[in-house]
Amino acid sequence: MPYRLELTGITKRFPGVLANDNVTFAVKPGEIHALLGENGAGKSTLVKMIYGIMQPDAGEIRWDGQPVVVPNPKAARKLGIGMVFQHFSLFDALTVLENIALGMDAKIPSRELEARIREIMGRYGLLLDPHRTVATLSVGERQRIEIVRALLLDPKLLIMDEPTSVLTPQEVEQLFDVLRKLAAQGCSILYISHKLHEIKALCDTATILRGGKLVDTCDPRQETSRSLAEKMIGAGLKDIVRGEGRTLGLPKLVVSRLSTVKTGHFDVPVDNVSFTVRAGEIFGIAGVAGNGQNALLDAMSGEVRGGDKDAITLDGFPLGLLDTTGRRKRGLCAVPEERNGHAAVGDFTLSDNSVLTARDRLGMVMMGLISSGAARTYTGKVIADFAVKALGPGSTAGSLSGGNLQKYIMGREILQKPSVLVVSQPTWGVDAGAAAAIHQALVDLAAAGSAIVVISQDLDELRALCDTLAVINMGRLSPARPTEEMSVEEIGLLMGGVHGATEVHDAVPA
Amino acid sequence: MSPELIIAIIVTVVGASTPILIAALGELVVERSGVLNLGVEGMMLVGAITAFVVVFLTGNHYLAILLAAAAGLGTSLIFGFLTLSLSANQTATGLALTIFGTGFSALAGQGYSARPVTLLGPLFPSELATHPIWRVLFGYSALVYFALIMVVAIWWFLKKTRAGLILRAVGENDLSAHSIGYSVIGVRYLAVMFGGAMAGIAGACFPLLLTPQWAERMTAGRGWIAVALVVFASWRPFRLLAGAYLFGLVMTMELYAKAGGGPLSVVPSELWAALPYLATVAVLVLISIRRDASTNAPACLGKPFLPSN
Amino acid sequence: MQFRLEKRREPSKVMVYATPVAAVVLTMVVGAIIFSLIGYDGVGAVREIFLTPLTNSFKWQDLGVKAAPLIIIGVGLSISYRANVWNIGAEGQYIIGGLAATWVALATHGMTGWWILPTMFVAGMLGGAAYASIPALLKTRLNVNEILTSLMLTYASVQLIYYLVRAPWKDPMGMGFPQTRIFSEAARLPTLIPGTIVHLGVPIAIVVALIAWFIMSRSVFGYRMRVVGAAPHAARYGGFSENKTIWLALLVSGGLAGMAGMLEVAGPFQRMVPGFPTNYGFTAIIVAFLGRLNPLGVIFAGIVMAITFVGGEVAQTTIGLSSSATGVFQAMMLFFLLAGDILIRYRIKRVVPAAEVRA
Repeated sequence: MPYRLELTGITKRFPGVLANDNVTFAVKPGEIHALLGENGAGKSTLVKMIYGIMQPDAGEIRWDGQPVVVPNPKAARKLGIGMVFQHFSLFDALTVLENIALGMDAKIPSRELEARIREIMGRYGLLLDPHRTVATLSVGERQRIEIVRALLLDPKLLIMDEPTSVLTPQEVEQLFDVLRKLAAQGCSILYISHKLHEIKALCDTATILRGGKLVDTCDPRQETSRSLAEKMIGAGLKDIVRGEGRTLGLPKLVVSRLSTVKTGHFDVPVDNVSFTVRAGEIFGIAGVAGNGQNALLDAMSGEVRGGDKDAITLDGFPLGLLDTTGRRKRGLCAVPEERNGHAAVGDFTLSDNSVLTARDRLGMVMMGLISSGAARTYTGKVIADFAVKALGPGSTAGSLSGGNLQKYIMGREILQKPSVLVVSQPTWGVDAGAAAAIHQALVDLAAAGSAIVVISQDLDELRALCDTLAVINMGRLSPARPTEEMSVEEIGLLMGGVHGATEVHDAVPA
Repeated sequence: MSPELIIAIIVTVVGASTPILIAALGELVVERSGVLNLGVEGMMLVGAITAFVVVFLTGNHYLAILLAAAAGLGTSLIFGFLTLSLSANQTATGLALTIFGTGFSALAGQGYSARPVTLLGPLFPSELATHPIWRVLFGYSALVYFALIMVVAIWWFLKKTRAGLILRAVGENDLSAHSIGYSVIGVRYLAVMFGGAMAGIAGACFPLLLTPQWAERMTAGRGWIAVALVVFASWRPFRLLAGAYLFGLVMTMELYAKAGGGPLSVVPSELWAALPYLATVAVLVLISIRRDASTNAPACLGKPFLPSN
Repeated sequence: MQFRLEKRREPSKVMVYATPVAAVVLTMVVGAIIFSLIGYDGVGAVREIFLTPLTNSFKWQDLGVKAAPLIIIGVGLSISYRANVWNIGAEGQYIIGGLAATWVALATHGMTGWWILPTMFVAGMLGGAAYASIPALLKTRLNVNEILTSLMLTYASVQLIYYLVRAPWKDPMGMGFPQTRIFSEAARLPTLIPGTIVHLGVPIAIVVALIAWFIMSRSVFGYRMRVVGAAPHAARYGGFSENKTIWLALLVSGGLAGMAGMLEVAGPFQRMVPGFPTNYGFTAIIVAFLGRLNPLGVIFAGIVMAITFVGGEVAQTTIGLSSSATGVFQAMMLFFLLAGDILIRYRIKRVVPAAEVRA
C-alpha cells in the first residue's frame, strides 16, 4: 500500500531563518504520526505547507503515491486533508453551525448540514449545541467544533496542531479516544506536540524536528521521555539547581477575599480568592486557560483595582487601592502572559521598554524627564545577565524572538529585586534553553527571599518549580497544598472542576 | 397642521434622508468586512460632481447615476489600494480620501456653479400620485426606491446568503478566515468598492434630487453623518433606515425654519443649521449609554490585515 | 519578474525620514503628469505651486504667516495622534479659540494696556481646550468615537460664527456686513518686521514646536503619549491610564488649535468675519502626518503646506488654475506618504520565479 503522505526534501526559507531544511518523512494510512519539536523547530511551517497555507521553496509532496501541489487550503481539503489549528480558526460572534458552514467548500443547506453534524457528533461522542454562539463555549467545546468541521469532510489525513495545550488531563483522554477511533477507521493523523508523555501514549511513529532539520524518525513507545527530549533539544537537559536546606520565611504576600468585576462580555472574573505566599516560596496556580487567570493577574498587578485596600497586602502593608506604579514602588512586580503588546511594546526599543516598568524603582525619571542613559545602562545589564540575544538596548522589542523577549521581560522585572513577583505563563512558547534559564532565575529570586506567584497552564512546569500549588477554575481558587502531596489526577480533576462535569450534562445530546 | 403640509413634510423627509441612507448602507457593508472607510464624504463629493456634469452635458439622469457610482467606486479603489494592498492606516487614509474628494470635486466643478440642471422626476406616472396619500407611496424618484430596496437586499445578503456569511466572518476574525482559506483582502476589496459605488450614488442625490445645481462641498458633512449612523444602527440595515429618516426630519425642520414663518423661526436659523451635527453627537451619546451597542461592532473593524508570510 | 514585500527585522529609520521627502517629490512629478493629461498646464502648475513661493522673495512673508497656524495646530495634532487620539476637529477648536479671543477683544474695545493680548492668548487656548474637552468627556465617559464628535462640533462651530457676526457681535458701523468691529490697537498682534505682514505668531510657532519636541522626546509626558498610542494594554501595565491620556491629548491639541485661532484673529484678520474658518485645522492633519508626528518634522511639513497655499494663489493669478487644485496636490501628497509607510516595515524584494531557480 502506498504511503498516505510523503514529504521529500521540503525546504522553506524566511528572511534570516531556514524554517524547514530538506525535511523528508512519510505517513501510512491509519497511522498516528507525531511531529515532535520545540517551539520554533519548524513544525507549524511544515504543516502549513501540507495544508496549502504556505508553499515550499523546494521539495515534493506526494499524496497516495501521486506528486501534488497544494496551492491553498481548499485544495488540501479536496484531497482529504483536514486540520485543527492550535489557535482556533473560529468566529466568536457566529454560531457553531455558521462556523462549520464556513469551513465547508460546498454549499450545503443548513438543515442538512445540521443533520450531518449531529451524526458525526453521535459517532464520536462529541457533544455540542449547533445553535450556540461560539463566544459562550469553553475552550474544550471550541476544539470540538474544529474537529467536527474537519471530520465532516471525511478526511484521510487529520492534522492536529498542539491540540492539548488548552485541555484538562481528562479532556485530553477524551480527545485521544476520538483520535484512536479515527485511526482505526483508516484515517491518518499527524499529531504535532512537544509533550512527550502524550506522544508516547498516543502515537505509532514520531518524527523529530530541531532547528528546521529532521533529527530522527522513531517509535516513541520504544523511547524514554528523556531520550525523546534529548533528541528534541539536542543537548543534555539541565535540572533546576536549588540551594540546600531551604526554609520558607514569614508570610509576605497575603491575598484575602479578592474578587473582580466582570468587565467584558467574555471575561471570567476572580471570585473570592485568598492565598498566602511566604518569603522564599514559589506558589503555583494551575488551571485551564480562560478560568480567571487574566483577571487575577490584572488584579494583582494593579491594572484593575478593586475597592478593598486589604485584599492584597505585602508585609502587612495594604496594596489593594494602589495603582501599578504604586505597587511597584512598594515591591510588587508582575509579568502578564501576553509578551508583545502587554508586557512589552514591540515598536519600542528595549531601552524604552525598560522605562515602562523600571522607571521608578531604578530612578530613571528626574523632574518629569527621562534619563535615557540610566535606561540604557539598565537594559544593557538585563541583556548581559539574562543572555538575551539582541543587538543592544537600541533593538526594538518586536525584533526579538519570543524566547529572547521573554528572557528580557523576566530579567527587567527580576533585576529590580521585587519583594513579590507575579508571573503568568513564564515559559509559554519559549525554547527549552530559555525556559530553563527563566526557571533558574525564578528559583534564585525566591532563594533571595522574594515571594513568587507563577500562573501557568503547564503542569510539568508548575510541578518542577513550585513549593505550593493551587488550582483556579471559573475564577475560584482551590485550597493550596504542598506540591509533592498532589497527584496529576487530583490536579486534573480540580482543573476540570465542577464546570467540567456539568458541561457534558448541559450539552444537547447528539 | 393640514394633511397637505404633513404629506409635504413626509415627502421632504424621505428625500432629504435618501443620500444619507444610501451612503450609510454602503459603509455598513464596508465596516461589516472589517474596514473603516472615513472617506465617505470625499467619495460622495466625487459622485456629486460626476452626476452633475453628466446630467448637465447629456440630460440623462440614469446615466449620471451610473457614472457617479463608477466614479465613487474608482475613488474607493485609492483607499482600497492604500489600506488593503499596502496596509496603510485606515483612519488617516480615509481622511486623506475626504480631503482629496473635496479638492478634486471643487477643481472639476469650477465653471459649473450656478448653472441649473433639472431634477430627477418621480419614477411612477403622475396619475398614480394625484391623491395626497398616493403621493406618499408613489411620488418619489427612483433613487428613493433604490435606497429602500437596498435596505432589504443588504439585510438579506448579510443574514441569508453564504457570501454574506463570509463577509461577516472576514470582519469578525480575519486571521481565521485566512487560515480556512478565504481571501480576506479580496473580500474587503469587494466591500470597499461596493461602499464606494454607494457613496457615489449618494453623492448623485444632491444635484439630482435635492438642489439642481453644483456647489463646492455641497454634501455638507452628510457623509460623516452617514458614518455616525452606522454606529448608531449597530451595523444593522433596518435600524439604519430608522436613523436616516430621523435625520431627514431634523434637516427638514431646518429647511422649514429657513423658509421663515411658523414657530420654528423663533430660534436663530444658524442653530437649525447646526442641529443635524449636534443631533449626530446626541445620537452617538444615546447609543453609547446602551451598553450592548458596541458589542455588535465587527471585531476587526479598522485593523489592518497582515498575514504572516 | 515579480516583487514581494519582505518584513524588515527593525523598522527602517531612513525610510521614516525619506518617505515624506519622496512624497513631496512624487507629488510634483505625478501631479505635473496628471494635470497635463487632463488638459491643464501641468508643469506650470507644479512650478507655480511648489517653486515660485520659494524663489520669489516677496512671497516669503506669506509663507511664514501661513505656516505659523499650520505648525501650531499640526504640533498639537501630532501629539494627539501619537496617543492614537484622533482629534480631527482642530478646525472647530481653532474657531472657538478665535471666538474666545474676539470676545476679549470686543469686551476691552477702546482700552489700552499690555495685558489685553496675553488675556486674549489665554482665552484662545482655553476656548480651544474647552471645545476639545467635549469629545474628551464623551470618549472617556461613554466611549463615543472622538473622530465623529470632534468633526460634528466643527460644523456646529461654523454656525456659531455666523450667528455671532450676524447678530450680537455685529459691527454697528459695518454697513450691514456680517462682521465684528475692527479690534483696538491693543488687541492686535504687532508685526515683527516693519513693512511686512510677519506677526508675532511666526516665532511663537517655532518656539511651540521646539518645546513640544523636547517634551515629546525627553519627558514622561511624551513617553505616555507614545506608549498609549503604540500599545494601550502595555501602557496600562506600565501605569499610564488611558482616560487621562485621552484628556491630555485633546486638551493639548485643542489648546494649541485655540492658540492658532487667537493668533489669526488678532493678526491677519484683526476682526471676526464669516470667512475666518480657512481650513487650517484640516490641512494641519496633513501637516501632522507629513511631519511624521514629530514636532520638528511638523515645522518642515507646515512650510511645505504653506508653500502649496501661497503657490496655489500664485497659480490662480498667473495661469488661472483654480485654488482648489491646491487641495488635490495636498491630498496626493498624503496618499503618497501613506503608501510609502509600508517601506518602513517592509522592503521590496524581487522574486525570482521558481522555474528559474531550478533551471
